[in-house]
Amino acid sequence: MKNLTSMIKAWFPAEEAHAHCDGPCGVYDPADARIKAEAVLSMTKKILALEPPAGDDANAMAQYLNTMSRYIAIKEDQASKTKHELLVLWTDFFKPAHLEAYPDLHETFWNAAKLCSACKTGVSLENATALMEAVEKIHGMFWGAKGRDVPYYTAS
Amino acid sequence: MHLFPLVLSYHSPIPIYSYFDLLLWVLRLRKRVRVVGRSMLPTLNPNDEVFVNLVAYRRARPKVGDIVLVQHPEQSHLKILKRITAVSPQNQLFLQGDNPLESNDSRHFGTVPASLVYGRVSSLFL
Repeated sequence: MKNLTSMIKAWFPAEEAHAHCDGPCGVYDPADARIKAEAVLSMTKKILALEPPAGDDANAMAQYLNTMSRYIAIKEDQASKTKHELLVLWTDFFKPAHLEAYPDLHETFWNAAKLCSACKTGVSLENATALMEAVEKIHGMFWGAKGRDVPYYTAS
Repeated sequence: MHLFPLVLSYHSPIPIYSYFDLLLWVLRLRKRVRVVGRSMLPTLNPNDEVFVNLVAYRRARPKVGDIVLVQHPEQSHLKILKRITAVSPQNQLFLQGDNPLESNDSRHFGTVPASLVYGRVSSLFL
């Protein structure tokens, strides 16, 4: 019987049945991406608004560099996190069936992910605003796919 | 020394399959699936294969203690294996893994209608 069992296992592979611990909880929300994208926009604005100190006050310059570095670090971090959140929605939540309702789904996510990279590496109010618009569009697709009418809002 | 056993399992073990199960499998009254994940330890190990009785609930209702193959209520492409720990009069099932520390089940996604059940695990294929 053991031989028969291993022969059947080899010739007719069984379908997988999940007894998972952490995978398929099925809880997704584009709000995660929106909060992080808002932080990117906020940091971009702060970076653009931060004035370097006049004169050659070493202490003021140190303060300026420190603040600027913090803004940049947070912007880059939040842009990476936005991209991660978007990729989770794209690859885990959305299924091939959703493409029928949203034929531009792949294009939308691809562009949004590229905007995250652009916001991470550069300082562009235009890109940060475009990223927020992309997140809003994805919000509409996501809740539309779930058949729910969830209004979009921002924290700031 | 532990004062209590680390694993509490009062369920009877799943029988090993018989030639009769194989016949029913060929006749497509049994489905064979391979376990992925650790949520049904110690009853089912990752990579164990089991036969699922696809006609178990034609005449009987799902009952507490049965291990069932169910369509995930939120991800329709996923089939999951869990144990029924409660059945409501409306045939809603509360499902839990035997390994509660590493299981995502009705404690997270709520009860599941009996209509999502494919069948009951009837024997081990090993």
